[in-house]
Amino acid sequence: MRKIIPAIILVLAAVVSFAPAQAEINLDGFMQGLYGGRLDENNPTATEYTVSESRMQLRAEHFGERGEFFGRLDFVYDGSLEPTYDWELREGYFKFRMGNNIDVKVGRQILTWGTGDLIFINDLFAKDYASFFVGRDDQYLKAPQNAIRFEYYSSIGSWTLVWSPRYEPNRLPTGEKLSFYNPMAGMFIGAGMGGEVPLPESKFENSEIALRFNRQLGGFNSAAYFYKGFYKNPAGMRQADFGAGPDTIPYYPELTVIGASARGMLMGGILWLEGGYYNSQDDPDNDNPLVPNSSIKGLFGFERQIADNLTANLQWQVDMMTDYEIYKAQQTMFGGYVRDEVYHLLTSRVTKMLNSELIKLSGFLFYSPTDEDLYGRFSVTYKYTDEVTLTAGANIFDGENPATDFGQFQLNDNLYAKMTYGF
Amino acid sequence: MKKFTSTLIALLLASLTLAGSLYAEDASEIMKKSHLAYYYSADDGVAEVSMSIVDKKGKERIREFTMLRMDETDGGAQKYYTYFRKPSDVSRLTFMVHKNPDASDARWIYVPAVDLVKPISADDKNSSFVGSDFSYEDVSGRHWSEDTHTLVKDSTLDGAAVFVIESIPLEEYSGFARKVTFVDKASYLPLREEYYDNKDKLRRIFLAEKLEEVDGFLTVTQRSMQDVKKDRKTTIVFSSIAYNQGLGDDLFSERYLKNPPREFIK
Repeated sequence: MRKIIPAIILVLAAVVSFAPAQAEINLDGFMQGLYGGRLDENNPTATEYTVSESRMQLRAEHFGERGEFFGRLDFVYDGSLEPTYDWELREGYFKFRMGNNIDVKVGRQILTWGTGDLIFINDLFAKDYASFFVGRDDQYLKAPQNAIRFEYYSSIGSWTLVWSPRYEPNRLPTGEKLSFYNPMAGMFIGAGMGGEVPLPESKFENSEIALRFNRQLGGFNSAAYFYKGFYKNPAGMRQADFGAGPDTIPYYPELTVIGASARGMLMGGILWLEGGYYNSQDDPDNDNPLVPNSSIKGLFGFERQIADNLTANLQWQVDMMTDYEIYKAQQTMFGGYVRDEVYHLLTSRVTKMLNSELIKLSGFLFYSPTDEDLYGRFSVTYKYTDEVTLTAGANIFDGENPATDFGQFQLNDNLYAKMTYGF
Repeated sequence: MKKFTSTLIALLLASLTLAGSLYAEDASEIMKKSHLAYYYSADDGVAEVSMSIVDKKGKERIREFTMLRMDETDGGAQKYYTYFRKPSDVSRLTFMVHKNPDASDARWIYVPAVDLVKPISADDKNSSFVGSDFSYEDVSGRHWSEDTHTLVKDSTLDGAAVFVIESIPLEEYSGFARKVTFVDKASYLPLREEYYDNKDKLRRIFLAEKLEEVDGFLTVTQRSMQDVKKDRKTTIVFSSIAYNQGLGDDLFSERYLKNPPREFIK
């Protein structure tokens, strides 16, 4: 209840500030109901509902002389556990131009770059997998970040610098509504078992920096990237501070990434290539078994229309661990899951539009032949009217070993239904 | 005498062929002028577009967007920029096409909610434009050199003198097997088009419903496409049209795809 008060104040403030007739403010948004249930009986989560929420999103936009403002505010009633009201400023930024060649965006914003379709190598902006796995709209895969973005357009190409003063991690299942496997504990983590992972200390040197240089090379849009920050998932374990509790706790290890990508038209379709080197700063010699080794990631993708209103794509990602022998020896010693030296992931998206694009059938499959795990996303969307959209879908996880990327979520298979009213 | 007869026949045949080819050239020339008048007015243009799609049950769907166009050469490469306003689920989405008559179009979409720039594979120009009865090609134009054109007759349509021209695709094409265009003799604008499939069944009818002069250019400000088979009709109304706004080439780039030019789009 405490949280709804600032929300009400915000709405009132918004309404009051929108009142002057001379202020041109565009206001729109949507109302949405989303309800989903798990399919696995033995999931140790606190509720059978993977999601049960009513959401209202308000969007406001104002154009001024010197720039423009955009805000996106969500109010959510969540009934999957004890009923709670919550709100989140999804976006709230000011965008303006400095001179002729620099665009600046300041504030809470969603950031994306890179070429992959739901595979991110050089895009180290925060993701929200807890939303992604339960059927929320695609826009919720991206978590907002407080940042300043500078884009400089020069004759040789465009430069983008994103500075996030405070590190923003991925949002992952916590055990409350979606469970996950913890290889250290050797069990699936459900309600009340997952602990908070401390964020890197709030100080200047812990801020995130992401850089991109982008230019056209022949028919290909090519880019080079740099990132300095932390692994977006709590991928490492470290000694706990003094006190009660376990000896080691999960944390976000330091990370830098350099990479490149290219994307262009080929053979009637779109082809993309991307690569990146993940340099694990907390484990320079790759000998700390509690911190990921550095690795090289590569991605190849191709998409094209294969029939009327039918589009399909294929992606192949590889991840080569450096100093694999050290890793293998350590994992074997601890009795943990031993990944292959080269990890392979294949994905495919198939989209079919029917009835003049009013019905959309969509399937997306992730499958790793080396980890022997998979994740499938399936949905049917029907645009009943311009305002009302109905969606039904499923998220399916499976894995031979619970310690793998998708295998850890294997108890979370779920079905959902969603209704959206746009205004 | 025999020789004379054969010479005469040869001459007659030659003149017939010549006349035929002149006629064909005329038809092609008319279609070129029509294409330029309809798709290449001025050097650039900006317009607010309202699209209404009515299905056979009478259910209406509305699309609203702002459209910017720039011509590189008349009859040649063009660039299009579209900023969607309605319906709500696509509002603020932008879409850009670099049209090249000699190659595949390049198309990009920008989804602001996820800050995503995505190129779209544009193999099929005949696919529907935003779920309407207009295809991408209807919006950006099919080059006249892709069809053979024949002037069927001179006629009148709602009081206007028109050329009636039949067009057959040079290469097999999914959009139509035969098209009949009624071209206004005064303005060269297409007033009516009939699209026939490979069984010569009438599939779609285009109508220029309202013509207005804007900045000295006669413009089809209301147009419709009726899908005879599906019993659906899409009507497009252009308003706030402005020509020769000095739209720069850089406006049709990723920078503006992500940051709509507010001098034209508010």
